[in-house]
Amino acid sequence: MIPAGFEYHRPADVASALAILTTHGDEARVIAGGHSLIPMMKLRMAEMGHLVDLQDITELKGISVDGDTITIGAMTTQHELITSDALAEAAPIIREAALVIADPQVRYMGTIGGNVANGDPGNDMPGLMQCLDATYILVGPDGMRPVAAREFYEAAYFTAREDEEILTQISIPRPAPGTGYAYEKQKRKIGDYATAASGVMLTVAGGTCTSASIAMTNLADTPIWAEAAGAALVGSDLGEDAITAAIAAAKDAIDPVADNRGPVEFKMHVAGVILRRAIDRAIARAG
Amino acid sequence: MARDEFEAERTTYNFVGTRPDRPDGIDKVTGRARFGADMTAPGMLHAVILRSPHAHAKIVKIDTSKAEAAPGVKAIVTRADFADGLDGENWNILENVMAGDTALYDGHAVCALAATSMLEARDAAKLVEIEYERIPHVTDVDKAMAPGAPVIREGADDGSVPAGMHPNVVRYHESGHGDVEAGFAKADLVLEETFKTEATHQGYIEPHACLGHMGTDGKGELWCCTQGHWNVQKVCAALLGTETSALRVTASEIGGGFGGKTAVFIEPVALALSRKANRPVKLVMPRADVFRATGPTSPASMDIKIGMTKDGTITAAKGVFRLSGGAFPEAPMEFSAMCAFACYDLENVLQMGYDVMSNRPKQAAYRAPGAPMAAFAVESVLDEMCNQLGLDPLEVRLKNAAKTGSKASYGPRFDQIGLVETLEAAINHPHYKAPLAEGQGRGVACGFWFNHGGETSVSLMLSEDGTAQIAVGTPDIGGSRASMALMAAEVLGIPYENIRCVIADTSSLGYNEISHGSRVTYASGLATIKAAKDAVNRMCQRAAAKWGIDPDAVYWEDGYAKPSGPNAGEFDPMHITEITANMGATGGPINGHFEATPEGAGVSFGTHIVDAEVDPETGHTKILRYTVVQDAGKAVHPTYVEGQYQGGAVQGIGWALNEEYIYGEDGSLQNALFLDYRVPVASDLPMIDTVIVEVPNPGHPFGVRGVGETGIVPPLAAIANAVSNAAGVRMRQLPASPPRILAALKDRDAG
Ligand SMILES: Cc1cc2nc3c(=O)[nH]c(=O)nc-3n(C[C@H](O)[C@H](O)[C@H](O)COP(=O)(O)OP(=O)(O)OC[C@H]3O[C@@H](n4cnc5c(N)ncnc54)[C@H](O)[C@@H]3O)c2cc1C
Repeated sequence: MIPAGFEYHRPADVASALAILTTHGDEARVIAGGHSLIPMMKLRMAEMGHLVDLQDITELKGISVDGDTITIGAMTTQHELITSDALAEAAPIIREAALVIADPQVRYMGTIGGNVANGDPGNDMPGLMQCLDATYILVGPDGMRPVAAREFYEAAYFTAREDEEILTQISIPRPAPGTGYAYEKQKRKIGDYATAASGVMLTVAGGTCTSASIAMTNLADTPIWAEAAGAALVGSDLGEDAITAAIAAAKDAIDPVADNRGPVEFKMHVAGVILRRAIDRAIARAG
Repeated sequence: MARDEFEAERTTYNFVGTRPDRPDGIDKVTGRARFGADMTAPGMLHAVILRSPHAHAKIVKIDTSKAEAAPGVKAIVTRADFADGLDGENWNILENVMAGDTALYDGHAVCALAATSMLEARDAAKLVEIEYERIPHVTDVDKAMAPGAPVIREGADDGSVPAGMHPNVVRYHESGHGDVEAGFAKADLVLEETFKTEATHQGYIEPHACLGHMGTDGKGELWCCTQGHWNVQKVCAALLGTETSALRVTASEIGGGFGGKTAVFIEPVALALSRKANRPVKLVMPRADVFRATGPTSPASMDIKIGMTKDGTITAAKGVFRLSGGAFPEAPMEFSAMCAFACYDLENVLQMGYDVMSNRPKQAAYRAPGAPMAAFAVESVLDEMCNQLGLDPLEVRLKNAAKTGSKASYGPRFDQIGLVETLEAAINHPHYKAPLAEGQGRGVACGFWFNHGGETSVSLMLSEDGTAQIAVGTPDIGGSRASMALMAAEVLGIPYENIRCVIADTSSLGYNEISHGSRVTYASGLATIKAAKDAVNRMCQRAAAKWGIDPDAVYWEDGYAKPSGPNAGEFDPMHITEITANMGATGGPINGHFEATPEGAGVSFGTHIVDAEVDPETGHTKILRYTVVQDAGKAVHPTYVEGQYQGGAVQGIGWALNEEYIYGEDGSLQNALFLDYRVPVASDLPMIDTVIVEVPNPGHPFGVRGVGETGIVPPLAAIANAVSNAAGVRMRQLPASPPRILAALKDRDAG
């Protein structure tokens, strides 16, 4: 399998990259780590005349934790997410989720920007970003605009990003101290996309759940932020009734399809099991 | 030479049994090794094969006119460009290499073209217009032999099939001895169960690739990745209608084969295109084509019935094995049948096999073809019987184990064999006694494989500095170059590092059968030893001539010719370098040679222990611990032997838990890529422990038995037993994927 022919560009800053995108419109596409895009090009599911490589743009790299905000540059690799001590301290769920993505080889190359911009429902970061209530910074010919992760995904491979826009940064509100968290994923084996995955963040005060956010991965044609599932926990004592209600709400929100990972009934079942485990672990970690 | 058979008595070795660096290591890690796709030639064209998107369809029309006119296109071939009038297996191979009037499976080659660049070839391929008329298909082995199933090829029955069977059943096998009904009558417990396994692929990382150049005079050169280039030479010559010796075939370095590269798929196509274009043609299979159109194993459906007394003695065993080799008559059902009960010394045994055609690709060998599925079925029933009778599963196997002199379930009497030794080693292994936690289960299983000798030629050439080259004809698929060098070093008495072993091309050595049947270390090894002895003989003669004594009075030891005793005369030992330095003047180059079809391959047995943990909520299985015990006869390079054991276990883990061919309702393959065809990787696995048992094979000078295949026979069974014991429900269908385990648990709970 070889991709169709294309022109290769390697700009050194965002402005030059935007200029190339503006010139060629939907004939051009940016490439980050290439670990979603190149397989698609080889399968000829993606064909473009111009490939704009972002790897030399240093302004797109880096992680910073500043007061209440975590900022991650789009070109930060999944490996860098795992090895950042600042991130591990501020939002350890990101390391937990990154560690179950693909395998080390893929994580050395794959970026968070590519992962969230890609729009593949199998990607783990989009659900996680919804769970964390992240905001994506998009820069285009008309300037910069923020879009909430929870609003970004429209359908498989369709997102709120315009063709000429580059996702430059992800900004995440730093979780309150003591927030319980878990990212739980069932996959066929190491290096696979999720059969079902789920991210949970919650806070507890005096035995009562004070906030909860639940997202589900690869169980619909977009990541699913299950607002009602989180709401079912908030105000509860996190007892069996509340958890059962949350799982029921999450199952209502998802819409898996049968594929090589299993039939719909199986996926629904596994989604419930892994969400329960994620909630249990998040509760155990909440302080 | 006086002490010709000295190796036969040999029990201590200087080189054999050591673990030197592999000779191909630096080549492989630096990229110097050349694999199938690494060869180029000036003026080379690139080829693309067009394949049927349908599982079964009449090919109504192939219109190539637009493609012919496309830029860069130099040749297009269809079935008409190959020899006609073939019969037997050559016809079957051609029918698979390029479809005739019917496409027989999803991915069946229909047409091929070559162009000056890969992009042009791909673009032109889109312009070939192929009109199909779909006809009913069947991919499931049981459905393919049921009444009303679409007939794949009328009249393909070879005459062995019992009357009244569906025409898709094309071959029948039956073997055994004693009276099974009488045996079942003596049993305290009789258990009968049905099992199913899906087709799996060998999963080699290197896709098939070749570079062929053939002139209109029918003379040609071919570079390809294969386990057997003499076979490629013979088959290609037949399919192209040229003489065998007109084609020279060179085997590339090989990136995995496991049996799958014993078959010919693309090489005749490259040559046919080349002959038409009169240019070299390179053909590299895309991964999806490798899955769709190169040999997976046969899917299997099996019934096993075993009778046992309360003390664990097997009174009778019966098995029925239905396998499909795709749209071609060649499923290895007789190997399933013959291996099924071979581990046990049975009074009454009967096994039957059915070869069933279906709309799947032509099966190819995969390590011990047919045996792993049979072992899964048989060893599962034994496990269940041990559970029901409250008996230790390894002790029961030991009680019934085949021994030296036992009559094998498939006929002959066993020579010296080592099953008992593997069982004893397993029973005494700390793994077998280790405690298990809640939710964990242990499984054990035994496995058998015949091993093979086969046609073999080897030459050994000495250089004037006393170093040696060995030319073998068996592509190195498991470290055999190291083993050959070690065995030659043992005979010549020179350092391992001073010996280079190469895979000769078809024009520079006599015929060599494919690297299959675990034959290489045994047969090429035996031939290497004999070729080295031949060279030693010649060196002894040179020394004798120099000393003026009878050649019989000279013997060879540790790299020196020595007079055999005081009667022979007083001479200083003569080192190999002294002899080779002057060989041009003392009689000419010194080479050794040996060719034969050695018959004493020596069967092989293994016993595996595995612990697994099953998550009852998600159906997910984790392999916790794995121990392989296998008889190697004599481990020439123990690291490679362990690698073979570990590889067998790992491939078995994939087969047992994840890997399967998934066909859609329309008969097309749903998972023709590694993303959805999941082979285990290192991070999925525990370290696989190995124990090398050495019960010498009397048929080899150093006692070697092949080790390449037996290691994949027990894992399906051992893992299925571990999973069944962990989950508390018998898994009768593989792979035991999470949805299947959950479904089995649900069925059990529903009663
Ligand atoms: C074997 C394998 C297994 C995998 N398993 C998983 C898994 O389990 N979970 C998971 O989440 N992912 C998985 N992946 C995907 C992997 O994480 C990718 O690296 C990631 O999805 C995309 O990141 P990338 O940097 O490689 O993006 P690319 O492949 O370069 O780009 C992906 C898409 O995003 C666009 N894009 C990239 N960057 C930007 C940007 N800054 N602005 C706008 N658009 C942009 C590209 O144009 C393209 O359309 C797997 C990949 C492989 C090969």
